Amino acid sequence: MDKSIMDLPNFRPNKTPVKKTVKEVIYHIVGIVLSLIFILPILYMLATSTKGEVAYAESIGTINMFLPDFANLGVAFENYKSVLLDYDIWKYATNSFIYAAIVIVLNILINGLAGYVMAKLTFPGKRLLSFMIIFLIVVPVETSIIPLYSIVKIMLGLKQQMSVLGVILPAAISIFNVFLFMQFFQNIPKEYEEAARIDGANTLGVFFKVILPLSKPILATVAVFCFIGVWNDYLWPSMILPAADDGTWPLLPIQTALITIKSIEGITTGEIMASLVITSVPIFVTYVAAQKYIVQGFGTSGLKM
Amino acid sequence: MLNTSLIILGLFLCAFGGFVIYDLATAKRRKEVYRVKSTVTAYLMLLPSVALAFLFILLPILYSLGYAFTDYYLLKPNDIDFVFLDNFADIFKEISAKGMLYNAIKNTLTFVVGVVPLQIGLALLLALFVNRPGVGSKIFKVCFFAPVVISLSVTAFLWEQILAPGEGGLLNSMLAMFNVPPHDWLRDPATAMPCIIVLSAWQGCGYQMLIFLSGLSNIRKDLYEAAALDGANKWHQFWNVTWVGLRSTFVYILITVFIGACRIMTQPMLMTGYMSHTVTLSYYMYNLGYTERWVGASSAVALLMTIFIGGITLMQRRMFREK
Repeated sequence: MDKSIMDLPNFRPNKTPVKKTVKEVIYHIVGIVLSLIFILPILYMLATSTKGEVAYAESIGTINMFLPDFANLGVAFENYKSVLLDYDIWKYATNSFIYAAIVIVLNILINGLAGYVMAKLTFPGKRLLSFMIIFLIVVPVETSIIPLYSIVKIMLGLKQQMSVLGVILPAAISIFNVFLFMQFFQNIPKEYEEAARIDGANTLGVFFKVILPLSKPILATVAVFCFIGVWNDYLWPSMILPAADDGTWPLLPIQTALITIKSIEGITTGEIMASLVITSVPIFVTYVAAQKYIVQGFGTSGLKM
Repeated sequence: MLNTSLIILGLFLCAFGGFVIYDLATAKRRKEVYRVKSTVTAYLMLLPSVALAFLFILLPILYSLGYAFTDYYLLKPNDIDFVFLDNFADIFKEISAKGMLYNAIKNTLTFVVGVVPLQIGLALLLALFVNRPGVGSKIFKVCFFAPVVISLSVTAFLWEQILAPGEGGLLNSMLAMFNVPPHDWLRDPATAMPCIIVLSAWQGCGYQMLIFLSGLSNIRKDLYEAAALDGANKWHQFWNVTWVGLRSTFVYILITVFIGACRIMTQPMLMTGYMSHTVTLSYYMYNLGYTERWVGASSAVALLMTIFIGGITLMQRRMFREK
């Protein structure tokens, strides 16, 4: 750079670094304040889950509300232990994991097959089905939860074991996922299938041996959203799952169980917060592990509306 | 109920068969070739999804339409009478008498009008804020997204604790540092819905921020350079490049947030229970149909709500589509 120009008093690039630093500092201060607003409630949840009732009461109104009780880590351990074992959260979490696993597998098989047929095969009646897919995606179906309830109740009766099907089966079909699969499969070149057909595979074989292995991104996206959906659902299971004969609720998924846990007599604030933390951990892990697919989900899903 | 379902199934299959025949008849004109083998395979593979979709999606929609004109009481499934428009007359009576339904509509509208601009505005501002290179912005992005990870029921319990009345509540204890007297946020009709609006926006806006970010990343960088060369200032650049580029993302977000907001139910249900100052339409519908077991009347409310949501959604798409 030309030194003589740099020496001129009003040369602008000379001012910029300072201005830029100030701007950077302001940016980061604003960012930190905003971030704090967003995560303070979460910090409060984490911190409280480590405290006994007395320590919690003492921390109210001080900065300790947002800091874990490092001095008594044993209490934290006790909170989590009693929630997991005494209040059976681990059982409910297991239920949720099982429901989610079954729903994910069924979802991929059932909706994936439908998406494949709609994308790759020609048959009479296809145009009506494509129209119905679009129609059912656009109509807001959530409002039909009460008729759905009466249908499932009458279909499955009031037995405990059958009501599990009431949790799983309605979640196994998703028109939106059929649509996602259809769009994805349409972009898989014909040559892959033809090669497999020459080797003697039938349509089902092509689907399992050629199409599914090529579709890992969409499988992951559907699986992630299925898992989050099943894990976070509390209302439908609370309607459909009856109590056992001894008055307990052995089949509840974790979110529904949370509602009953809160009203247990003698449960401490720390223990409630510990159960909230435990409930949030699997979703947190999912988001961290599957970031890529979640963002991909945005790209493939709605933006073409 | 079983008979009705079978009749509906029969009608459905008839209509479907009609379309199949129509497709076969017009196959030549459309230069389509149908093979028996591939048709049979296709239908076998479609069977599970069509059966489930019929049972759990189509049938409930049709029933909800039909029940709206009956006096169906959940415990008397064999004693359903057609009452024509009585349910809707009751609805308008309750609204004009300023009953629970009136409150439900009022609260839902308050929530929608409050949360839609707040959540989308926040999401857009945060997306623009973190849309730059650097470690700081990455950390901020994670912080803004963190509440999304927490489920609605956990959010409701957490905020119930935060907004707890008396000195023990987190918010009250923080305000006490500024000598503000404690307040019962969720019991006071003036503050309950605003609190629910704020916590919902807090919980949800990180998600829309990510969608805005992926929209921002699709805008070509050279457009900004071109605009700068043409002498556009930051505001003009935002308006003519960023905003235009984000249009389809924005419409998508507007529609999804709007529909989600109309259906709000979890937060009032778990935080306050069935109270006139926080009851919402979905909650009213659920309470009427499930807790009080009046499926017919509840379906009538659902029908009106579906028409309302569908109508506004169509309007929004019209408004923003072409241009």
